[in-house]
Amino acid sequence: MSSGHQQFGNVNSFNVLTGTYVNFVTEIDAENRQILQWLSPLEPQKRHQGVRIGRLDGVGNWALETAEFRKWSEEDGCGDPVLFCYGNPGVGKTFLR
Amino acid sequence: MIDSLCDRAGGEGIAVVGLYCDFLSQEQSTINMLGAILKQLVSRGGMPEHIRRAFQKAKKEFGGRGLRLPDLVEILRRTIVSLKRVYICIDALDESVPKHRRELFESLREIVRVSPNTRIFLTGRPHIDDEIVRCFGNAVRIPVSPTEDDIKSYLKKRLDSDTDPYAMDGELRADIMSIVPAKTSGM
Repeated sequence: MSSGHQQFGNVNSFNVLTGTYVNFVTEIDAENRQILQWLSPLEPQKRHQGVRIGRLDGVGNWALETAEFRKWSEEDGCGDPVLFCYGNPGVGKTFLR
Repeated sequence: MIDSLCDRAGGEGIAVVGLYCDFLSQEQSTINMLGAILKQLVSRGGMPEHIRRAFQKAKKEFGGRGLRLPDLVEILRRTIVSLKRVYICIDALDESVPKHRRELFESLREIVRVSPNTRIFLTGRPHIDDEIVRCFGNAVRIPVSPTEDDIKSYLKKRLDSDTDPYAMDGELRADIMSIVPAKTSGM
């Protein structure tokens, strides 16, 4: 009987601890959301989803094969840090994959 | 571009972030744009303590004050330093307000100076080129124009999704597919 009580007590304290932990995590989450909003109201990933859906596979891939792009994107490369792709409206700059 | 870099960047500590400029957006100040870059960097994992502290400090101040540009650049530096490589992609620079663009370029120049592990990919119309050269000197520049194959892929998609297919016959389609790409590629 006494061992039963003991077990019950343990289960209870476990629940209390878990509850506190959940509250703590929820508070951190809420603060993280506030921090992200504080950093910027912009949400570029929404536009990115639209671009990804509208893109045609293969179109513009030649740009990724150029020596300029390869050199710029090399992980350990020490080339120039800025790459600028320019062109008139509608040539597909946004949709370069 | 963002997706290609993401696919290639398999390794740990490589982050790819992106922005699209939009002349209709009222919120695209330099601070909001750089803030959006930072936001993407920290959304990947846990919130860095130095950002949490900066937020808690700002919250206590008058009106819960927002970030200032130099503070933001410093926070970006401290965040980028913990990563191996960061790619920042910004599309359609010509759609940003000229005043903001200049400030943005200056901030980006400062970021690559203090964080040499940053790579910046920019797109825009040709008239932005002068500003790029003035700000970044010898930046790598690639002119973009669709190849014949690019145009064929695009035409095929548009013809296949035509809502009025009865107006089309095989001969017209063949003409479109041969003449349009030849006349428009490299324009």
